[in-house]
Amino acid sequence: MTLLYDGSYEGFLSLVYEVYYKRLHVKKIQREKTEVVLFEEVLEIQTDEQKSQKVLSALKKKFSSKNFTTITNIFLCDSKEFEKPLLEFIILGIKDEKNLNNINYPCILYIKNLEKEIFRVAHRMYGFVRFEELEDGTLYAKIETKYNVLYFLGKHFLNRLGDNDFIIHDIQREFAFVKYKNEIEIRHVASFDEPEYSKDEEKFKNLWKTFFQSVAIEKRKNKKLQQQLVPLMYRAYMSEFENDL
Amino acid sequence: MKISIFDKLSILSDSAKYDVSCSSSGVEEQKKYGGIGATENSGICHTFTSDGRCVSLLKVLLTNFCIYDCAYCINRASNDTKRVAFSPRELADLTINFYKRNYIEGLFLSSGIIHNEDHTMELLINTLKILRYEHGFDGYIHLKLIPGASKELIEVACALASRVSSNIELPSSKGLKLLAPQKTKNQLLEPLKQARDISLEKSAKPIPMSTQMIIGATSDSDFDILKTTSVLYNKALLKRVYYSAYVPVNEGKNLPVLKNKMPPIQREHRLYQADWLLRFYGFSYTELFTQEIQHLDTDIDPKTFWALNNLHLFPVDVNKVSKEILIRIPGIGIRGALKIIQARRFKTLSIDDLKQLKISIKRAKYFIISKGTYQKEVPMYKENIKQVLLAPKKIIQPTLFDENYSIFTGEL
Repeated sequence: MTLLYDGSYEGFLSLVYEVYYKRLHVKKIQREKTEVVLFEEVLEIQTDEQKSQKVLSALKKKFSSKNFTTITNIFLCDSKEFEKPLLEFIILGIKDEKNLNNINYPCILYIKNLEKEIFRVAHRMYGFVRFEELEDGTLYAKIETKYNVLYFLGKHFLNRLGDNDFIIHDIQREFAFVKYKNEIEIRHVASFDEPEYSKDEEKFKNLWKTFFQSVAIEKRKNKKLQQQLVPLMYRAYMSEFENDL
Repeated sequence: MKISIFDKLSILSDSAKYDVSCSSSGVEEQKKYGGIGATENSGICHTFTSDGRCVSLLKVLLTNFCIYDCAYCINRASNDTKRVAFSPRELADLTINFYKRNYIEGLFLSSGIIHNEDHTMELLINTLKILRYEHGFDGYIHLKLIPGASKELIEVACALASRVSSNIELPSSKGLKLLAPQKTKNQLLEPLKQARDISLEKSAKPIPMSTQMIIGATSDSDFDILKTTSVLYNKALLKRVYYSAYVPVNEGKNLPVLKNKMPPIQREHRLYQADWLLRFYGFSYTELFTQEIQHLDTDIDPKTFWALNNLHLFPVDVNKVSKEILIRIPGIGIRGALKIIQARRFKTLSIDDLKQLKISIKRAKYFIISKGTYQKEVPMYKENIKQVLLAPKKIIQPTLFDENYSIFTGEL
């Protein structure tokens, strides 16, 4: 049968509960209702606080912290249909956690590869995020990413920006990681105005572009390789590619 | 007239770009100076230039004034180029502002020799001091040691930098004599030796070092180059050796003329692959060559090249052999080998299982036995396998009706 849930983490955990206790045979999992499908049995999962808590504590108890983190990391791969393999992964692990080392199960290989993929996106973004300095000295970055890596980025830059305040703004998901003085939070941002930038911002952006131009070696030019290494989707907020699009 | 910072940056990064090292990896994280910045063990690329090279560090010269006249160098004294210099403070501020905006991982600082070696080294050290002590910068700093600078200054530099290097420029003394007559191999190696000795004396963690060789400017063979490399890894404790395909920027009677006027990029690529084999795959440079063959094949990767020359060692059974042997199979890397080892604990792997594990078998399949079988399409001879690897699409199976075979010779 096809299962329907609301796309939230709690919703997914409730789904795990239903499948595990009612031994449902799952063919497909969807986040939203699509048109009515003929001859398909569809079950709508209600998000249930109690059930999800129960599953959560079971997972924490049964799984090593590494495998538990894998589950939460996969959940951040929100542009992928990860639900069915993740469900299989969890059920295999509940039976016996050793199963999770057997990469001959397609769902386990899929989950492990997907986790590598989100790490790869995060790692690329560690390099490709561009901050701009605002009037008050806060560093502000806009991002658009395939997976939800805001938390990874926030943690990374907390470690390296010292006392500087900063905001990383995920434009599509409408969330922002905000570090202001001693406060750190991930905040929902419904709408925003273009901020005022510091007077030096333009100068350093231009210096950066100057540098970027002059370190390229004309005789070794290879635009195809460049595009492989910085795919177009990453370039939206990278000032050095502004004229290149 | 005052020269603008834009002009300085553009001139001094332009002259530094032929230094290929740009890695920011291999430094364990530690907060020492307490301000902005951190290092990442895996290294981070912040962008890639139009030639496809990673930009990780702000790579600049402090100045392009130089008292030396090396034939291949864009900054040789006899060249009529515009000469400029950053002040240490100017450069430190630029670095911090680039770093804050996440343009870079840190600084890669080199310099032409202005006045003399010690004076130049002092200017470099001053830049590092401003970054480390005034800004509390904990990010990555790669510093070029100046050959000929005093030991005391080199010691200070090693304490401040994350990594130091000194370019030996050319693989052999012979080449140096021809193209950089003012430099000798010993003189170029000196700062690396000193840095090594300082690390050893203090029994502290050695400072990571690297060097660079120019490829294709002299007649040295790949064997010579990799031999030099091996010695540097083993004796001088170097972390990395970089290879830089010779890009002609000057004219001179001793300089080579390149085919199609293009730098030997493919050769450089193969050398890097071979370098990886030396550092991570347990190969020694002597294994890669024979008496007759002193150059790598630019058409195939060095591991396949080695396997074809040592076909008697193959095929190997992926379900049985150790990790050390698995990583010697062409097309299988360290990660692939680990996946195989993990998966074969649960079942005997077939070719399809390898595909499932996303292991590239394009090359590997000619060198392995899986589930007791060896591929049947191509006879196991060096020429046959090499031919399919080079042009897999051009192979046409001879048929019974192929006139070239049957009618004229009577043979199949």
